[in-house]
Amino acid sequence: MNLLARTRALLDQAVAATADQRLIQARRRLDEPLRVAIAGKLKAGKSTLLNALIGEELAPTDAGECTRIVTWYADGPSYAVTSYLRDGTGEARPFARHDGAVRIDLGRPAEQVDRLEVRVPSARLRRHTLIDTPGIESLSADVSARTHTFVNDHGQADAVIYLLRHLHGGDVRFLEAFHGGGGGGTSVNAVGVLSRADEIGGCRLDAMTAAERVADRYTTDERLRRLCPVVVPVAGLLGAAGATLREGEFRLLAQVAARPMDDIVELLLTADRFAAGSEQRRRLLTRVGLFGVRLSTRLIREGVVTDAAGLAAALTERSGITRLREVLSAHLEGRAEVLKARSALATLDERLPPGSPLAAGAEEIRAGAHEFVELRLLHELRSGRLTLADDRRAEMDRLLGGSGGGARERLGLPEDGDVGEAARAAQAKWQRLAEHPLSNRDLRTAARAVTRTAEGILAGQNQQG
Amino acid sequence: MLARLSAAGRIATGAGRADLAERLRHAATRLEQGGDVAVAVVGEFKQGKSTLINALLRTDLCPVDADIVTALPTILRFGRPPSAALIADHETPIEFGDVAKHITGDSGQEARAVEIRIDRRLLGAGLAVVDTPGVGGLDSAQGNLTLATLTTAGAALFVTDAAQELTAPEVEFLRRTVERCPRTFLVLTKTDLHVEWRRIAELNQGHLRRLGLDLPVVPVSSFLRMRAQARDDTALNAESGFPRLVDLLRTEVIDTAAADRLAAARDELAFVAAQLRERLDAEAAAALDPQVTAGYAERSRRSAALQHGTWQVVLQDGIQDLAADVDHDLRERLRLLIRQGEELLAESDPRQTWQDFQAWAAREAARAAADNLMLLVTRAEQLAAEVAERFGMEAHDLSATLPALPMSAGKARPIELTFGKSGMAQFLGAFTAARVAYGGFYLLGAVGALFSVAWAAPLGLLAGVTLGRRLVKAEKERQVQQRRAQAGQELRRYVDEVGFHVGRDSRESVRRTQRLLRDEFATRARELARSAQAAEAAVREVAALGEQERQHRAAALHEQRRRIDRLAS
Repeated sequence: MNLLARTRALLDQAVAATADQRLIQARRRLDEPLRVAIAGKLKAGKSTLLNALIGEELAPTDAGECTRIVTWYADGPSYAVTSYLRDGTGEARPFARHDGAVRIDLGRPAEQVDRLEVRVPSARLRRHTLIDTPGIESLSADVSARTHTFVNDHGQADAVIYLLRHLHGGDVRFLEAFHGGGGGGTSVNAVGVLSRADEIGGCRLDAMTAAERVADRYTTDERLRRLCPVVVPVAGLLGAAGATLREGEFRLLAQVAARPMDDIVELLLTADRFAAGSEQRRRLLTRVGLFGVRLSTRLIREGVVTDAAGLAAALTERSGITRLREVLSAHLEGRAEVLKARSALATLDERLPPGSPLAAGAEEIRAGAHEFVELRLLHELRSGRLTLADDRRAEMDRLLGGSGGGARERLGLPEDGDVGEAARAAQAKWQRLAEHPLSNRDLRTAARAVTRTAEGILAGQNQQG
Repeated sequence: MLARLSAAGRIATGAGRADLAERLRHAATRLEQGGDVAVAVVGEFKQGKSTLINALLRTDLCPVDADIVTALPTILRFGRPPSAALIADHETPIEFGDVAKHITGDSGQEARAVEIRIDRRLLGAGLAVVDTPGVGGLDSAQGNLTLATLTTAGAALFVTDAAQELTAPEVEFLRRTVERCPRTFLVLTKTDLHVEWRRIAELNQGHLRRLGLDLPVVPVSSFLRMRAQARDDTALNAESGFPRLVDLLRTEVIDTAAADRLAAARDELAFVAAQLRERLDAEAAAALDPQVTAGYAERSRRSAALQHGTWQVVLQDGIQDLAADVDHDLRERLRLLIRQGEELLAESDPRQTWQDFQAWAAREAARAAADNLMLLVTRAEQLAAEVAERFGMEAHDLSATLPALPMSAGKARPIELTFGKSGMAQFLGAFTAARVAYGGFYLLGAVGALFSVAWAAPLGLLAGVTLGRRLVKAEKERQVQQRRAQAGQELRRYVDEVGFHVGRDSRESVRRTQRLLRDEFATRARELARSAQAAEAAVREVAALGEQERQHRAAALHEQRRRIDRLAS
């Protein structure tokens, strides 16, 4: 029986025994997609990133602070909005779509609303539910408090995508709280995003390269690595525009690109100049940003793209959103089962008295499942609690599934590498370490776990063979 | 004003009062040269502070990069020929090529600031621009050091970019900025990149209103300004928004400072004029009534005692109180720091949290030092006011024994004019926060030095082999305890060191304050005494003259007094 099945069975028992509302919810949650919260300081570009990830203009965005209520975007048969109130009741709310963005008529003061749920038919949302949160460090303290409570106190999210513009002390505090709350912190369910990457270094055309550099530095920062091991630079605006670019917008850009070079330089000098005197251009600017306009103009002018579809693809490619999707699928979705099980078991711990047979069952799953062992080791490794030489640490991180749960990713193999051979080699190597008399106890325990991982890969190979 | 000062100086020399002439010369020098008004550029990191300064001063000396940040405060002053220096315990000249390396902290050299002297009109007009490390990052001890800088700055530019409205931490920092430096402007940078910057400016203005802060918001684009400079394009420069900023700096900062200096010079002139007039008044009084001699003699006797008057007592007691309070405040803050630090340590294993903990300790220590400096400055200003008040009262009492001068109005300028409100301001004009905290900005440099700890190696291999599982667990716990104890010791040592450096610097400041106030008022007391003696001598001389000559003399004096009055008005 796999991990998720065992957790399900245990929760079924618990629900039958207690009929606790929270447990029923937790049980239901096991069958739903992974819940990923998008968090960050205000105006970090959370809603924009959400739109880019879904590939549809859904969450409203604005120059000022915009998202004030935690909003869930989940897959559903048709568009629908439900508003959940503080007292736990839910009511369907009417909504209008303004330029695609869902504008919800709350019908009551925002304070009474606990969260909103937007159902959207979307294949992407079938893989994970995305949760848009209000910005932390907002001047309206209650808005920030909502995010903190939601993500950190209630354990509502299985994972978090954290948006940084630059690394502030407040970001680290938030991530620390995320790891501290929600039942046993690990660094395995947080993915960092260096957002608004297009604006780094003054929207010049090399912005994404500069952003890459900054992100690299964050990735190697010891304090941050402990909290979220990867930081991906993403230009959310570009990604959202790439997914939703319209023919009219392309024509507008093509017109600009067709002008003489000197004209273009003057026009693209500042956002103000580009927007001056044309409502259409102003709209375009809020949609793709100054960097997007500059980049598109250059691409069209140089003949790299010739139509709207081509430009959309080019924008998406440069936005870094594809890379983020890859990272998400490796780091979060690949681990969805264990993350979901973890959340469910945490709820179980919270609702049941310690020492009861059911709680003991939870403990048993946690102690026995190799997935949990891997998760725990990975966390210890990254937090520096387990000290290893650098190259060995990188290998161990990878084998434990730090860069993706697939066999090739774990073994660090190219497409054509021989998985069986590599797995056998890894198994032998770590087995030796586990048995070496000079290894200390922590290392031996860890090495044994890694050996087991390698054995698991081998077993999987044999089954396929 | 300079002409009037020198004219008054000639009269004083003519009257045999070299001391008063000296005072006027000093006033003239201060008026002419002034000191640079420091404008601190502050804000969170990556908001474009260094770029703003580069654009403002048409230079590229402040390093700008998408990733690297300013690590050392950089002071830009007027200087010809251009030069740069690294300021640590003493100044070391450095090459311009190395400036960036030092500012970003890559040179590996311990320093407190970088000073750059360049030839720019704005700087020549009496401005010193200070680029500060951004606050809000992981190592935000910087923020507190920046706050300390603000205590001595004449104005501050609070920089935030147009990408978003103000955040809660920014507003908190802004509040503390305005507390220390009331003349603060909010500069909204990067308006070229964000089409909605007008909205952001409005939103920010709204936030400021709600906070009850009335600061001008100046939107600028450094990029346009630099481009305008490269092409000599006035229209583009106007578009950049910088003309308004320069204008604000000129009118609100430089001109206000100049006006302050002028007012101080005028006060000095009034003081001297009153001293000079005193003798003339006395002669005039004696010419009318030879009986006043006794009154003047009494006054002269008493004025000699002014040097050791009760203001000395106020100063002595005040300084002692101040020193004790400042010292106690620092101790209290540091004690609190240790207590909080120990609480933090008790919650964690120092081996994992050490880096964060170091950053925390540095930040809190810097905050303690900055707040302590703030206390020192405000208390010193209070004390100066008290001493000035007492001195004024005593000086006023001197004349109490004098008979009311039976003269027509306008001629009998009562002496209290000098010691009225304007007199208080006059003493205090020379006594500004900047002088108390002279070097206060560097005061905190020493706090930067941090500790590194070599942790005991994790459970050794021997233990791994021989100890049983339970023993290993106990051993691990013991090691965590040991690390906590070690970290606690390190913390106390560090705080001790901070206390030593900050305490030494603040005691130095207290001594400087005392000396400054004592010298200032003792000099004035001497001058008053000399005036009183001169008046007494004059009165005696006039009293000895015949009736006819007295009348004659009175007429001659009249003209002299008119001249002095004209100068001092």
